[in-house]
Amino acid sequence: MAQKAENKACAMTTAHAESMERRVRLTCRVNGQFVVEDIDPTMLLLHFLRDRLKLFGTKEACGEGECGACTVIMNGRPVTSCLVLAIEAEGSEITTVEGLAKNGELSILQQEFIELDALQCGFCTPGMLMSARALLDRNPDPTDDDIKEAMSGNLCRCTGYRQIFDAVKKAAKREREELKRS
Amino acid sequence: MLSQFEYIKPLVLDEALTFLAEHEQTYILAGGTDLIIMLNKNMIDAKYILDVKSIPDLDVFKFTEGEGLEIGANVTVNELVESDVVQSKYRALCEAASVLATEQLRNRATLVGNICNASPGADLPPSLLIYDATVKIASAKGERSVPLRTFFTGVKKTLLNKDELVVSVFLPDPGKQDNSIYLRQTRLRGHDLSTVGVACRLNGDGKVAIAINAVAITPLLLTDLSDQLNAKGLSEESILWASEEIKKHIKPITDVRASKEYRSHMAGILLKRCLGQLTGKEV
Repeated sequence: MAQKAENKACAMTTAHAESMERRVRLTCRVNGQFVVEDIDPTMLLLHFLRDRLKLFGTKEACGEGECGACTVIMNGRPVTSCLVLAIEAEGSEITTVEGLAKNGELSILQQEFIELDALQCGFCTPGMLMSARALLDRNPDPTDDDIKEAMSGNLCRCTGYRQIFDAVKKAAKREREELKRS
Repeated sequence: MLSQFEYIKPLVLDEALTFLAEHEQTYILAGGTDLIIMLNKNMIDAKYILDVKSIPDLDVFKFTEGEGLEIGANVTVNELVESDVVQSKYRALCEAASVLATEQLRNRATLVGNICNASPGADLPPSLLIYDATVKIASAKGERSVPLRTFFTGVKKTLLNKDELVVSVFLPDPGKQDNSIYLRQTRLRGHDLSTVGVACRLNGDGKVAIAINAVAITPLLLTDLSDQLNAKGLSEESILWASEEIKKHIKPITDVRASKEYRSHMAGILLKRCLGQLTGKEV
């Protein structure tokens, strides 16, 4: 009973009470996993990831594409998941921050964020990581301006950006070295 | 989100047009970077969301030598930025596209969506106006083309009827000796809307075209100003004259971004910089 009341409160605060009648089928891949879910067409991709798939790394802040906290990679490109309907992800390939670590080991990019103190409260970090990941995927050797431009859609209220910039730059260098070795 | 819409995703254009003709409260979804904000904030009550991204006719992005470039409704802003043709032939458009919002939004937002949203401060319209862009519009009744300069009718208003959809925007081939530029003033260097933005084009015949955003209820193509400037001929003097004269052709307002006086002042400065850079004259 207590559990039920809690669920109800939760549904009301997330502001997308789902309708049972108008369900649509969504098929996509999230972090390499095949996903098939029946969803309400008004559901945002952000809420689908968080509420349905319980991938809480992707954060909700501004809800209008300004802050970048909800950034995920969709078909190779970074997008703000608060401005994408979940159903628009039909047939697509999504990567969230949970998809960065491999076999229980943090990615180079994540390691450098930790190493260089590129976070304080950490709320913007998943979005920062996804923008940086998308940048390095399409441009393994970015200029300083490339990094600034790619990261300019992500706001951080703690660090002042310097450490974030340095972490991306160092991660890019380490990734290139790793690639040469392999 | 209060709207309890149904999601429709037609695979052919005719199907979309018939649906639009038969269903009120239908909103067209391409990139969604304006529409979904309006839905999230409950600014609109949508009964149907018509996603046009699976309609192949709207994917067109094709340049024909001697004719021009057709940009379909599904072409995203980053696809423009990455396009060799846009980079080499329509420089101002490439510059405007590359400063629009953020990387994440440019991956979703479309050029056609940017004009249909009809914000007076939208970044892309000035760079389209200087190239005499035309807008291809379709409805169940047929097709029509209108010049972009007549397309905007007010703040967030266009001449589109409810049953109509923009298929594409067409830019004539500017030829070889053509150059253009888009400069804008923002409050900060990162992600911000334009406080005022000026696009200028210098064509192969040495004639100038000037367009501007965020200083009137619609983006403006300043044909009277450019006609007068072209009649005078381009010189350091005439450029300085135009950068004062432009203030008579605009009607800026004061809002959160800037005062009308600042907008007016910056319109002149930006025009001077644009023309200076295009002509290589020091002004």
